[in-house]
This record gives sequence, structure tokens and C-alpha cells, in this order.
Amino acid sequence: MTRYLLTRLGQALVIVILVTLITFVILHLLPGGAARAILGKEATLQQIAAFNHEMGYDRPLWEQYALYLRRLAQGDLGYSFQLNQSVGEAILQRLPKTMLLSLASTLLAVLIAVPLGVVQAVRRNRWPDYTINALALLAYATPIFFLGLLMIILFSQVWPVLPPEAPQGFTLADVLADPAGLVLPILSLTILTVAVYSRYIRSSMVDNLNENYVRTARSKGLSETRVIIGHTLRNGLFPVITLLGMYLPALFSGALVVERLFNYPGMGLLFWQAALKRDYPILLGVTLLISVATVAGALIADVLYAAADPRVRLKAGRS
Amino acid sequence: MSTTHEPLLRLRGLSTDIRLRRDAVHALDRVDLHVDQGETLGIVGESGSGKTMTVLSVMGLLPAGGQVVGGQILFDGRDLRDLDPKRLRRVRGAEMGMVFQDPLTSLNPTMRIGAQVAEPLRVHQGAGRAEARERAVEILRRVGMPRPDKIVDDYPHQLSGGMRQRVVIAMALIRSPRLLIADEPTTALDVTTQRQILDLIDDLREEFKMAVILVTHDLGVIAGRADRVAVMYGGRVVETATTADLFASPRHRYTEALMRALPESAADGRLYSIPGMPPDLSRPLTGCRFAPRCAFAADDCRTTDVTLTPAGPGHEHACLHPVAEPVPLTAAAGRPRLARDPAEPVLAVRDLVKEYDTGGLGKTAARVSAVAGVSFDVGPGETLGIVGESGCGKSTVGRLVAGLETPTAGRIVLDGADTAALDPRARRRMHRQVQLMFQDSYAAMNPRMRVDAILTEPLEIQRVGDAAARRARAAELLDQVGLPRRALERYPHEFSGGQLQRIGLARALALRPRLIVADEPVSALDVSVQAQVLNLMRDLQRDLGLSYVFISHDLSVVDYMADRVGVMYLGKLVETGPAHEVVRTPRHPYTRALLDAVPTPDPGHTPTRGTAIEGELPSALDPPTGCRFRTRCPLAQDICATEPTLQGDTHQVACHFPLRQERPAVA
Repeated sequence: MTRYLLTRLGQALVIVILVTLITFVILHLLPGGAARAILGKEATLQQIAAFNHEMGYDRPLWEQYALYLRRLAQGDLGYSFQLNQSVGEAILQRLPKTMLLSLASTLLAVLIAVPLGVVQAVRRNRWPDYTINALALLAYATPIFFLGLLMIILFSQVWPVLPPEAPQGFTLADVLADPAGLVLPILSLTILTVAVYSRYIRSSMVDNLNENYVRTARSKGLSETRVIIGHTLRNGLFPVITLLGMYLPALFSGALVVERLFNYPGMGLLFWQAALKRDYPILLGVTLLISVATVAGALIADVLYAAADPRVRLKAGRS
Repeated sequence: MSTTHEPLLRLRGLSTDIRLRRDAVHALDRVDLHVDQGETLGIVGESGSGKTMTVLSVMGLLPAGGQVVGGQILFDGRDLRDLDPKRLRRVRGAEMGMVFQDPLTSLNPTMRIGAQVAEPLRVHQGAGRAEARERAVEILRRVGMPRPDKIVDDYPHQLSGGMRQRVVIAMALIRSPRLLIADEPTTALDVTTQRQILDLIDDLREEFKMAVILVTHDLGVIAGRADRVAVMYGGRVVETATTADLFASPRHRYTEALMRALPESAADGRLYSIPGMPPDLSRPLTGCRFAPRCAFAADDCRTTDVTLTPAGPGHEHACLHPVAEPVPLTAAAGRPRLARDPAEPVLAVRDLVKEYDTGGLGKTAARVSAVAGVSFDVGPGETLGIVGESGCGKSTVGRLVAGLETPTAGRIVLDGADTAALDPRARRRMHRQVQLMFQDSYAAMNPRMRVDAILTEPLEIQRVGDAAARRARAAELLDQVGLPRRALERYPHEFSGGQLQRIGLARALALRPRLIVADEPVSALDVSVQAQVLNLMRDLQRDLGLSYVFISHDLSVVDYMADRVGVMYLGKLVETGPAHEVVRTPRHPYTRALLDAVPTPDPGHTPTRGTAIEGELPSALDPPTGCRFRTRCPLAQDICATEPTLQGDTHQVACHFPLRQERPAVA
């Protein structure tokens, strides 16, 4: 198992480095450049040249990249002139807020989607299944900004019980001080996630209920509840592990649209603003974080899989 | 034991429907059966005959849409259809036990063996954790599990198929049921394992004083194990009798046809095959359901509703024109052997070796020895049968010969040309000469390609002819395999298993090969359809001068098809020779054990106990040195640690203590 983990970590490192390389190159190939973005339209060519020289932007790309990697190794993600703070600081400030949003909505989504999916599978092709399916499809097909707007109109205009804007605060504590403002962003994300998860769980449970081992369980004279909860559920929940692993990057990047819509000061908003302003250090930093999270998510999903499924455990142990 | 005449289980007019989207399949139509206490009832029939639906109806385990729509299921006098769900579950869990066909999928993959085996105790008796575990160990030991106290904590994937079937049996037995239902319990297993499992069920029946229902398509299994037999066809019971009576004098025309279709009864080198296909049970049917395929059907058969009528003590049949004179089963004469001149072989294989890496680095790297030095020749127009249990390397040999894999060492000489020495282009052209036919032709065809595309694809790849010529060839191929030309425009899922094998054969023939490697081509087919495909393969061989490498686990089929046989064990050929000699006078102890394990459709034939091989196939990761069979061989001595070579003239054996030739194997 240790050997397996080490191999996987090695692979992960290579992937992350490749991601930084690709992002770095693409960002520097974009027209305009950072100088123009910072110094403004009025800046002279000389000013731009001076800025580029000072920042090292006039050096060959590979040299810039090498410098970037060296700083990275020291834990220095760079400095954002536009925010006037280091990238690390900017991310650290927003990350907890985004994680709050993502974790809360994911947890809620799993708690809702699992029973829904199970009910659908057990009552498949009957009215509970059809109803849930139709609603899930509707939610899935609705663009999240539309869903969010709808929620705002419903709950802060038509029936004004909740604020339309997320809490504005510098720290996590500030945000938590205004829980009412969190309801709509979290709810929007939850609805979307439930729509995705419940479909996966339904189809996985349907597959499992048709397996021979379920027939064996029934032949022992078990009650249907025991067959479903005792035998099928564990096997049926494997797709959720994959989904959760895939969801980890979103945990860090934030739901960009939702954060923008509710003006929630998290990672999504940070990324959005950096993209508008061509704030390269921030963009690079966030991309790096997301790529690390993606790779880590896959790794964690694999490890969780091994914990849940003894068949995977054996194979992992052998290699 | 009570001496009441009321049977343990009696089915009266049992009818079961499976609802589909639009219509319903009438899977069972007024089935009458009974099982007495302590007896074994065999239910035999082909796929779709309703044999599995019958037992699933009894167990209340019908698939989605399935429902018992009429009749009674009297278990110990109570009609199970009247019981409320809770009491029904109790009956199911405590008084009946069921063993399923596929042991690989019938256990929960994420639950420990002990927990699964003991679950009925925990649920129905409220046994505690410790007690349940203890009882699980005890019952696992009883079904012959080695180290049961360790196995209880294992997961199903850690066990072989045979061991998993023992677990399923243990699970069914833990509550000491009065009725054990075994639905094709050994169909997915090798013959030697099959024998172990069937012996086990026999022993347990006596010990637990249970009744057993044994459902199978295999007449051989029925003959050796059942007290009475019910033959099913098209959702009805068509004949029941004691086993001896049924095999000695089958009365229903279907039963007779089924027995004549067995490879064992090929009298004059040609198998009897039943024309046509089983009835479509979603349509209303009148008269005898076998009438459309029956050579003896008269007008009354098509109009009269034929019911079971007594024809002797304990013998009932539903046939208006039954067999009058018992037709004795003739022993297989085998195929007419052609006198061969020692022509240049089509295929010559020398010291073929194939090893697979299992991955891993350094010390953990391991090599699986799949084929370990195999040599053989196949002459023009000759059939070489390769037999052995799963994992013996027979399929790997087939794939190597067909060029799907490259050998680790050794030579494959096709038509005098060493395939390894050819450049890639020439090798590709060479592969026209060897084509493959698979066990599961449906899986081996692209479901989104029509038959015409499937048949012309090999021609396109090898750039043979233009589009019109290819189409003409495809039509010609269908003629050869006896399918109508309109099949060209249809998709694989529209065909039955036998028809798919014909298409698979047609595709293999497309490039006019000289050799066809057929890997278990009839293993998934019913007996009557198997006969059709085997006949076709032999007709084509005669007409086209084809050679076959015929890979099978079924010795009777190989005996019927092959001129010569090679027996493989763990990657090595242990015996080769003329088919009739190897099958009748085996010289290797393994061949002998394999032959003894084959159930014969002759109730008088009792397998000699003690010749069964014990234990499991060793791992090919670390095969035994010397003779690879020595770890399970009753004759093994110290010298067996040195490797024996194949010795002999036409009948060769690789054994230090070969069996004497005068001992006949088949009575």
C-alpha cells in the first residue's frame, strides 16, 4: 500500500509540474500583457519596457519559468500588484470562505441525494422515480446563474425573507456572523449537486439491485429493507466516492458563478477578478492550487475506494 | 422420518408470467410437479424451457415483472401463495435453501464470507455475533472449506469459483433447510470441480435428510444424481419418470430427441439435431408446443391441449404419439477416421512458451507461466482437439496460433513458414490462413454493425475484391452456414445463440482460411443447437478441406469432433494421441481423472469414487517443478519432481508412471 501511494504521489507531482508549465506558457502567450493591464492605456512604450524589465518579463520564457519554479519551491506563489498583497495571502484569505460554501453544500447534497437515489432505484419506473427524475433533470438543465437569480427573486423580492447578497466579510468569522446571507448561495449549489448525485446513485443502485448477490440475499429470507441497506447500499455508493474526489477541486476553486452572483468573497470571485484584470500571479496561483486539488482528489478517491471495496484493496496491495 | 404420502413440495397448475413493456411472456403454463422428502428431483430442459422460472417461483425470487398468476405451491401442505410476506420470508430463509448458477456473482463482494453465511441465523434466530461466527466456521468446515476459521474473514474475490460455490451451499444449509434448490450449480465450473460439488450435495442430502431439486441442462449430471426427472419444454413439464426409467425408455418425442442430440449418441458420425427453435412464449400457443419441431407430429398434436398422462408406475408424459420401442443409446462411434498420408502439416507448433508479467517492480514482479513448452502439428483437413480445465492455457495457445499474441519463445510454423521470421506485411497476409471462432459470438461482434458489414470487414481489411465482390462473398458465406440471405441486413442482437455461432463461423470463413481456431464454440449452446453447429462445422470441414484447432473443456464434444486430442494441464501438454484412444484408454493420471469426472448420461454408470482429483489447480504464478500435476496426482513419487517428456508413438504421454493401455475408461 505504501509503495502504491508513493508511486501515485510521484505521478501526481509530475502532473502538477506539467500543469504549471502549460498554464505559464498559455498565460504569457495571451495578447496585452500584464504591463498594459497595470499601467493603463496611457502608458508609454518606454514605461512598459521598463516595467517588463523590472518584472523580468523581457527575459526568455524558460528563464521566467525557471525563476517561477524556484520561488514556488520556497513557498512563494508570487505577488499581485493589483491587490497589493502576496498571492499566498490573497488565497489564504478567501479559501476558508469558499470551503465553507462548498463543504456545506456538498454535505447537504449527499444527505439529500442518497435517500432520493435509493428511493428512485427501489421504486424504479414508478411515480416516485419519475417525479424525482423530472425534478432532477429540470435542476440539472437550469443554468446556475438562472437558478440563483430565481432564488433571489423568490426569497428576497417576492417573499423577502433572505438577503440577496452573501455576507461581506474579511474573515471566516465575519461571514459566519451573518448566516442568513449564506442560505441562498449554499442552497443554489446544493440543488445543482443533488441533481447530479441522485442520478448517479439511482443508476448505480439499479445496477446493484439487479446483481445476483441481491437475489442470494433475498433467498436467505431477508426483509427488503435489510437487502437494500445491508447489502446494496454500500456497493451502490461507490460512484459517490468518485464524485467526491472529482468535486475536491471545486472545493478550492469555488463555484465561480455562484460567488459572482451573490458577490461572495471567495476563491471564485478572486479568480474572476484576476482574469478580468490579467493578474497573472493570482491566476497562476489559483490554477496551481486547483491542479493540486484535482490530483489530490483523484488520489483520495482511490484510497477511499480501496477502503470501501476489498477487491481494490487486494490489487493495490499487490502492486 | 414421517411416512406420510404427502410430498414435501407439490406444484399444482403453476403458471407464471413475466410482464414486459407491451405484452407478457407466459414463462410457466400449468406446471405440475412434486418432490418427496429426501429425494432428488432433477429438472432438465433447454434455455427458455421454464426450469429456472419454476424454482424461482417456488422461492419467490422471480425477476422484475415476474408473477405467479395461477396454481398452488404447496410446501409441507401450506400454499406459499397464501402466506403473508413476513412468514414467506421465514419459510424461504429457514426451510428452503437455494444454490445459484454463477458462484462468481452470487456473493456480496464487499461483505465478509462469515457474515454472509451466518446472516440467516442472525436474522431468523437472533443469534449473537460470536455464535453466528462459530456456526459459520462449523458449516464451512462441513462443506469442505480448507481453513474455515480463516476463510470466514475473507472476501469472496479471494476464493476460486468452486470454493465460492461451497460458500453458497454453506449459506443455504446453515439453517438446515428441508428443501435445497440447486439451479445449474456446476454449469460455470470445471468438470473436476463439478464432480466435487455434486458429490458434496449428495452427501449433504443424506446427512441433512433434505429433498433436493437439481435444475440443469446437462443430461449427464441428471443421470448420475437424480432419483426422478422432470423434462420441461416451452414452459411445461412434458415428461416425468424415475431416472432409470426415463433414460431407458423415454416416451415423449422431445425427450428422445434431446438424448439423441448428445455427442455421446452419435451413431454414424453425424449428430441428430432438432430442427427449428423453441416456441415464443409471449404468443398464445395451442396444442403440443413441440409439434412444430417434431418429426412425428400429426394434426391432432397441433390442436389438442396435451396434458400429462400416466404411462407406467411413476412415469407420465404429455405426448399423443409417444415412443413405443425404447431406443437404446448407442455408444459413440466417433467420426470416421480418414486415412492420412503424412502430408506437410498446416500448422506446426514447437516449444511454444507464453508468460505474462503481472506488473510490479523488482521483487514483487511475477511471471505467470500460461503456456510452458507446447508442441503439436495439425494436418490438412484434420481436427486437433485441445482439452483442459480453465487456466490450463488452452485459450492462450489458440490466441498465439491465431497471431493475436506473440509468443515469449518457441515457433509457430504456418504452411511451412515460420511466423516469427516474416515481416509484418507478410505476417498479416499469413493470418488470412488462420481465423478464430469464439464461445460468445455476440460479445465478439460489434452490436452496431449489420451482419453484412461483419462479414465483409475481414475482406476489407485484407483488401480482397471490390465492394460488389465482397457483398457477393458475404451472401455466399451465409448460404454455406445455412442462414437466409436476408440475415445480411440484420443486427447481431436479432439472432439466437446458435445462429450467432453460424455467423461467427461465416466470418471466420470469409478469407478462405486453411485453419480455424474454435475456442469453446458450442459451450454456451443448448444440446439440440450444439448438434446443429457441430454438424455444420464438420460438413464445412469435409467440403472445404479445413483444419480445426478445437478448444473445449467438454470431452464428449472433443471426442466427437477431433481426430487427435491434446490434454493440457497448467500450461503443458500431458497427453496427445488419436481422440478415440485418449478418451477410451487414457494414459496420464490427469486425463483419467478428467474423464472420470465427466458425468455420463447413463444412470447405470456409477462414477468410481476415489478417482476424483482433490484440491484446486495450483497457481500458474509459481507452478510445481517437474510434472506440474504431481501435487494432486495419486501416483506421484519423488521422481516426478523431474520433468517427464512426451513419450510414445502416436499416443504420447508425459508421465513417469503412465497408466496401462488395456484398461478401458468408458464402459
